[in-house]
Amino acid sequence: MFKNRHNAISLLVVFLFGVVLLFIGTDGFTAFTEETARVNRLIQEKPVFPDVTLEDSKGRTYPISEFEGKFMFITFLYTACGTVCPQLEYNMAQVYDLLPQKYMGEEIVFLSISFDPERDDPETLERYRKAFKSDGETWRMARIVDKTELNTLLEKFGVIVIPDGQGNFTHNSAFYLVDKTGSLIEVMDFTNIEEAAEKVERILAGEQVSKR
Amino acid sequence: MTQFIYGLLLYIFLMLPPVAALFESMMITHMHMQMPMLVISGFLMSGLLLRRSHLFLEKWNHNGIPGITLFMMIMIYWTIPRTMDEALTMQTMEIWKFISLPFLAGVPLRDSWKKLTKAWKNFIIFIFTVKYFGMGALYIWSEESLCNNYLVIDQLTLGWGFITTAICLVIYLVYAFSVNPSDYE
Repeated sequence: MFKNRHNAISLLVVFLFGVVLLFIGTDGFTAFTEETARVNRLIQEKPVFPDVTLEDSKGRTYPISEFEGKFMFITFLYTACGTVCPQLEYNMAQVYDLLPQKYMGEEIVFLSISFDPERDDPETLERYRKAFKSDGETWRMARIVDKTELNTLLEKFGVIVIPDGQGNFTHNSAFYLVDKTGSLIEVMDFTNIEEAAEKVERILAGEQVSKR
Repeated sequence: MTQFIYGLLLYIFLMLPPVAALFESMMITHMHMQMPMLVISGFLMSGLLLRRSHLFLEKWNHNGIPGITLFMMIMIYWTIPRTMDEALTMQTMEIWKFISLPFLAGVPLRDSWKKLTKAWKNFIIFIFTVKYFGMGALYIWSEESLCNNYLVIDQLTLGWGFITTAICLVIYLVYAFSVNPSDYE
């Protein structure tokens, strides 16, 4: 097949170049999509939750520092979404149910944040809350009214939201876990409910031990 | 020389920010129009470059296989969902796209294709057929959004674009294996 040595050498060089290129391009064959790469980066960087003001389904307004000293289990959604968001919230409800009740509200709060503040006013959020049987206290649904604050948060947490021009958005979905100091520590696959619940429980239990 | 100028003009045209933005606004035009056109621009420009390095290539790319391998590697690299996303968000990746596709895919393709035997040519087309069916299936049936910068509908369009291209390649391969052109001469 290779009549001369030079061809074999150059083929080898080219092949190695290609493998190295693919290796670098995918972080060592681990991240073939930007989403995987993004999650890997976030877990490494541990961005701090920026200072935002929330307005929840009960119409209460408070800064995010309200939850200081508690873990936050966060999802990002918009209520007009017919595809992935209901699934995301349904799965979130399951994680909520899987976690021991004693932690709820004490050690951890669940927070669903809308990135569509125009349509997701407190009444809409309240309807959505009831649909998913969240109690509105230990699991709150809220919007961030201030656009700048919202965008800062989305950017920091790598949430990419693209409006499709017809009132819908394409967006990436995940479970986010923020620790007591406000740093993002985990980004979890929202389709893997048991794994997420186990991970959160392990972290919460670890916290309890270190406190004693 | 004329070819070189056409290639260069095409290359510059593709580089114009509004043109690039238009192609990149849709996934399918990004992958199936902008990227191939970059390869073509390199292909056209390479005539002049190849003449100068004729001896070098005769020695190192005698049978065309190293060159075609380089071409394939670059093409595979740019079909990874992540590289497409990064070309949109990172300036360096965008520059790398404009360098690698014309000069590391277009140039070696021109030098290598004419050196390949018929069997090799069909084999390469066969590999692309398999790859395109595979990528098409991936983009169509993937549960999640593979590219953060595009809508899911874009992903579906691209998936069907891959499948359609693959079908065309199959038609060519069937033709190549079943029809003997000399029968008609």
